[in-house]
Amino acid sequence: MKVLHDMPVEKIFTIKNTDKELLKKWLYLMTVGRIIDEKAPNYLKQAIGWSYHAPYAGHDGIQLAIGQVFNREEDHLFPYYRDMLTNISAGLTAEEIILNGISKAADVTSGGRHMSNHIGKPEWNIHNVSSATGNHTLHAVGVARAIKYYKGKGVAISSQGESSVSEGYVYEAINGASTEELPVIFVFQDNGYGISVPKKDQTANRKVANNFTGFKNLRIIHCNGKDVFDSINAMTEAKKWSLENQHPCIVQANCIRIHSHSNSDRHDLYRNEAELGYVLESDPLLKFKRMLLRYERLTKEEIHEIVEKAKEEVKLAHRSAMASPDPDPASIYDFIIPEPYPASKYPEGIHNFAGEKKKLIEGINETLKAEFRLNPDTFIWGQDMANKEKGGIFNVSKGLQQEFGPARVFNGPIAEDFITGTANGMSRYNKKIRIVVEGAEFADYFWPAMEQYVEMTHEYWRTNGKFSPNVTIRLASGGYIGGGLYHSQTTEGTLSTFPGIRIVYPSFADDAAGLLRTSIRSMGPTLFLEPKALYNSPTAATPIPDDFEVPFGKARIRRSGTDLSLITYGNTTHLSLKVAERLSREGFNIEVMDIRSLIPLDKEAILNSVKKTGRVLVVHEDKVFGGFGGELAGIIGEEAFEFLDAPVRRVGSAFTPVGFNRILEAAILINEEKIYIAALDLLKY
Amino acid sequence: MGKIGLFYSFKSKKTAKIAGIIHNAFSGVEVQLVNVDEVHKEQFLEFNQMIFGVPTWFDGELPNYWDELLPALEDVDFSDKKIAVFGLGDQKGYAENFCDAIGIMTTFFEEKGALIVGNFPLEGYTFERSKAVKDGQFRGLPLDQENQARLTHKRIENWVEIVKKEFN
Repeated sequence: MKVLHDMPVEKIFTIKNTDKELLKKWLYLMTVGRIIDEKAPNYLKQAIGWSYHAPYAGHDGIQLAIGQVFNREEDHLFPYYRDMLTNISAGLTAEEIILNGISKAADVTSGGRHMSNHIGKPEWNIHNVSSATGNHTLHAVGVARAIKYYKGKGVAISSQGESSVSEGYVYEAINGASTEELPVIFVFQDNGYGISVPKKDQTANRKVANNFTGFKNLRIIHCNGKDVFDSINAMTEAKKWSLENQHPCIVQANCIRIHSHSNSDRHDLYRNEAELGYVLESDPLLKFKRMLLRYERLTKEEIHEIVEKAKEEVKLAHRSAMASPDPDPASIYDFIIPEPYPASKYPEGIHNFAGEKKKLIEGINETLKAEFRLNPDTFIWGQDMANKEKGGIFNVSKGLQQEFGPARVFNGPIAEDFITGTANGMSRYNKKIRIVVEGAEFADYFWPAMEQYVEMTHEYWRTNGKFSPNVTIRLASGGYIGGGLYHSQTTEGTLSTFPGIRIVYPSFADDAAGLLRTSIRSMGPTLFLEPKALYNSPTAATPIPDDFEVPFGKARIRRSGTDLSLITYGNTTHLSLKVAERLSREGFNIEVMDIRSLIPLDKEAILNSVKKTGRVLVVHEDKVFGGFGGELAGIIGEEAFEFLDAPVRRVGSAFTPVGFNRILEAAILINEEKIYIAALDLLKY
Repeated sequence: MGKIGLFYSFKSKKTAKIAGIIHNAFSGVEVQLVNVDEVHKEQFLEFNQMIFGVPTWFDGELPNYWDELLPALEDVDFSDKKIAVFGLGDQKGYAENFCDAIGIMTTFFEEKGALIVGNFPLEGYTFERSKAVKDGQFRGLPLDQENQARLTHKRIENWVEIVKKEFN
């Protein structure tokens, strides 16, 4: 039996046998990197920029190695904020690094939008990653899933500091790569500190990679990240093994941090003189030069020539970058979210089809199947997604795995961040891919995925339009099922506060089908909220044309009226319609508008309705305080005040959690009677 | 017993101090002190019995002065040489790689034909993992000045006796 972690690493590259030209190239890259690394703080001192710089000195060996094994044609690289040399070694020029550092418009990573030192080049598959350090491990796993599915030849390489391995999502990523047997290399650059926190305060194991020794299909390689040859051999072995076995590998590289964590840190406050001294003595670049000279691979003159050439490149890069324009402030609204699928067959998202009525759950299920038949690059996963006759926690995805197979339709672990984060990652593989995830069993359980949700909303803007995840996140939402605190939550009040994602919340079967079709066909992320209390409700059932599609940002008047506008969505559309019917018997003519789409919002339709009726009651299931209705009321107050004959009112649930006992639930959630009373007050105002 | 070469870094502090104690323990035997910081491979050929002092750095590495030297010795035939290794480590703070450097060194020189002498029992040490351990014993003398300094002299005494016998 072979113990994976004890398998030897072949010493392919040594000081004696490595080709001289390659040694010269490595020294050049390392020197360019180090010059910039040492020069970066000066830009801040001169108030030019680079206000965040995490120096990499001491990580030279492993960063050179990561960049050298990376093949931009086949691999995907996720460098972290300390990976400057990794990027240079992977091919970025000194000018590109400085453009990023001083946040110029020509910065290839983000056009100056993302924090300095977060370097990448999306068009080379060097991904622009978050400051939430380590969360890109999930993206690496996601893209590796695509590499394996499409039989790609590359690997995903994720790089991070050892302290960020403490993040739960890193565990989720490694667990997922192990379970799905994916070609991912997780590099832990271990310099002993998370800012000032020593690694003994992160985990009991000094070598955090060893926390994962029990994971199946996973190999762990330790190397000296300060040593060029040990690092190159380790990374070469990791890539070869990962490719051959299609399994994940961790490379833990022991590094030193020669300087402070960043320019806002002062390491002399927590490191003693002896430590500061021995890390300087262990400088990897000095060691490499000593080795080159000792083994007569390069002469002093040759080294001098390389250093001078590197200095010249950095000097010219500096001049050029300084002359490069800053980002245009008028561009801030560019690339928030890609243009959606136009859904032009039904431009208003309304139809006159008069066929058999279908339930909301059927509308979603059949649309999923239709889109999966149409597009072979569609995938869906989530908890309880598929096991024999079970398909989704509410059986919304029933029959999908039987028809489309387990490679496209599969279960995720109980790890919402993983489910969401790997969707973001997988969609990076190509733009044809469309992913649907059940983000959680119930919307209430989506909170662990918030960090990846936020990430998804940032991607398009942060990459200056170079990448946006093509993902539809489905969540079974809302209450009225006696579900208590964690099976009743409405989440849109919180989730709508982030620019960069569309949010829809249908209340009828046809709108659910049409909006889902548009979501799946669109570029960029969409949050698709499903009122689970209506899945099987006869009142939400409608005829659905086979090709129905609903454009985003199109409200639908479900009942036309002139006396009062009830602006609503989701479960409360139906309550509002009942109230409108009741009030009509009392002689009032009530309009009920289902906004359907929260982001983008059909402001025009809302304002037109207000102008027509002069009275508005905003109705939603979420709590009034902090609910989305505050936005609706605010817009109406600002933009249609002169058309109002009464104050804008809002009704929704109490500002409490949702109780489990049906008596408590009824007292908390908005109901027909409360809407009726509020509507009547407004009508009599 | 012929001349013994005692190789260690003269710039080191703790290792140099231990080397001094070991030197004294070999009283009556010719021991030549060799500075690893400046050594040439030819100097290894001058001895048939050698003692190497090698602390473990970081999470299980050789110190630079040994690490940068070893490639020079790759082509040297040590088949008629006896080598003993001592090293300093911290079995509490670095339990996962206690005195790994002893294991790295002994493996290297054994592959070059040397006979490794001076194995030492595990009794009295508490650690998790060490490359210095093979077949239930250390392949040299591990010393822990951080946690068991009071045992150092006795351990050196015992080890030197073992090495003396095996050098003969």
